[in-house]
Amino acid sequence: MSGIAVPSIELTRVVRTYGAGSPDEVRALRGVDLTIPPGEFVSVAGPSGCGKTTLLNLLGLLDSPNSGEIRWNGQAVGDRSDRARARLRLEGVGFIFQRFYLLPTLTARENVELPMRALRVPRNDRSRRAARLLEEVGLQGREKAFPHQLSGGEEQRVAVARALANQPGLLLADEPTGELDSGNAQAILSLLERVRRDRDATLVVVTHNPEVARRAERHITMRDGVVTEDVREA
Amino acid sequence: MMRWGRGGSLRHSRLQVVLAVAAIATAVALPVVLVSVGGGVSSHELANLQNAGYQIVVSAGGVHGITHAHGYTDQLLGLQGVTAASPVLSITIDAFSTSGSVAPVLAEGVIPGQFAPTLGPAEAGLFPKPIVLGDPTDSIHFANGTYAGPATYDVLVSSPFANQYHVAQGSRVILSPVANRTLGTTYNVTGTFGVPPSVLGPTGAFAVLLPLSDLQAMTGLAGGSSVAPDAADTIQVSVAGSVATNPGALDNLRGEVQSLFPYYGVSSLTQEAQQLEAASGVLTGFYLALSSVGLTVGLLFLALVLLRRVEADRRSIGIRRALGVPSGSIAGEIVGGGALLASIGAAAGVAAGYLIVEALAKWASSAVQEAAQLAVFDPVLLGELVAAVIALSLLASGVATRAALRTEITEALR
Repeated sequence: MSGIAVPSIELTRVVRTYGAGSPDEVRALRGVDLTIPPGEFVSVAGPSGCGKTTLLNLLGLLDSPNSGEIRWNGQAVGDRSDRARARLRLEGVGFIFQRFYLLPTLTARENVELPMRALRVPRNDRSRRAARLLEEVGLQGREKAFPHQLSGGEEQRVAVARALANQPGLLLADEPTGELDSGNAQAILSLLERVRRDRDATLVVVTHNPEVARRAERHITMRDGVVTEDVREA
Repeated sequence: MMRWGRGGSLRHSRLQVVLAVAAIATAVALPVVLVSVGGGVSSHELANLQNAGYQIVVSAGGVHGITHAHGYTDQLLGLQGVTAASPVLSITIDAFSTSGSVAPVLAEGVIPGQFAPTLGPAEAGLFPKPIVLGDPTDSIHFANGTYAGPATYDVLVSSPFANQYHVAQGSRVILSPVANRTLGTTYNVTGTFGVPPSVLGPTGAFAVLLPLSDLQAMTGLAGGSSVAPDAADTIQVSVAGSVATNPGALDNLRGEVQSLFPYYGVSSLTQEAQQLEAASGVLTGFYLALSSVGLTVGLLFLALVLLRRVEADRRSIGIRRALGVPSGSIAGEIVGGGALLASIGAAAGVAAGYLIVEALAKWASSAVQEAAQLAVFDPVLLGELVAAVIALSLLASGVATRAALRTEITEALR
């Protein structure tokens, strides 16, 4: 399905500043160097405003750095055209946003089908796969519900199913269990881990949850836009 | 196409869409009505002109500006290619029936033998054949400009007048240039004639037709052989078929007539038709220009609705872009949505315009009703109108799309 191999990601002296030159200038990342090999499960922690979400956006090519380089498998991708980056996101990246970002006008199944539609997956295939993904996240029977008819936990699970729709090589999750009870959180984490194992996908999770961080094999801590700690489990 | 948000915003959005469609429909209906009715009336008048029995007309400004009408008619008849020349004097007089009723009527004075050949096929059918008005040459009473000969005192009356005042062939009516029966002259009714429908001019439903010299003498517009006026409004000239069907020959003959009367206006129907067509084109352009104001308002409203939709959907658009949905696909949805709204509005506008014209044709007051009945719905023009609306809506959608896609994804997601 995906045309993109699980990438090896390199960030070199990446700087991201919002409102550069203005009185409201925010230096979100101040020269981050980071290498994430394929298939790694990385947790990112740190206080609010330390640049975790900015890092995630740059890793997923939602944003471009002001300076520095982002490479996938040795190829610079950070400064590619919007169109090229959109294609890379569509084929290679699965996002689980902190605030879910489901489309309110689409049902749960349509939300999950959305990335597949963009990739022109045949209707029957995407319908079948969406149903399977929703079943995997425990939402069988809720396929036709709209987001406003779902609880926060259910919305998060739809978001997870949507992130997995195109079988991405890179999964980026911003507090993926923040809205879930412990049972559902465990289920979602298990699912993400299984996907990572099955596809050898890279999983980067921003979290404050020690239980989530405990499952990761590498722990990055950030403060004031820089990586202050980078620890691999033995 | 994107669907709408939830609850109250859904109703609000639907209201916006309904209002946008209504604005476009109203804006389109206006030119549809104006252009179809205006074009229909122009086409009708053009057809009347083209079906006239005469091809050249001599006219003069002012009241009864042509003098020596009989003499000029003889001169015209001497030109090669001229088959008939009919001076016409039109003036309002009073008609008194024997029962004492009085009505203003439009009197037309003609030379009976010359008048009939200058009638077009439709008009000729309204008159009896032959037209019985005493002396067909009108020369006996005219008596070479002396008006010393006996008047015929024959008159044809229009059917509406005949019906209203119970006048028939063999009846008598008293015609007077002033509202005084005792100053009038008694005429014999030799027949009736129908009244052609007319939209642009007065219908002249109450009308009489009598010999030119009789009307001139009655109204004081006679004069002696060397004294003006021997008045007429126009002289209508019929030409031989070989000239009528040859624009060059017709123009040459028009030139000859003009050289005979350099101080009068001389025009051929070809010219008049061209002028009418040009005037019709100008009117159509004017109608469209007038309508463009409404159209602009409608399209601005549509653009506003589209921009508001894009603003309301900013986050949804950002989410799609974040997921990697191509910008072209998102733009296609927005532009397609705008085009769909404009198409629905334009189609509704054309339908509404058609229904308005139909309603006017059935229930409006007489002149408006007649005009509406002549309406012509030109599919090419309507198609161009709809295409223009859709094109402009695409432009408006394009602006909205550009605004949506220029926003940073991370900004749109906030």
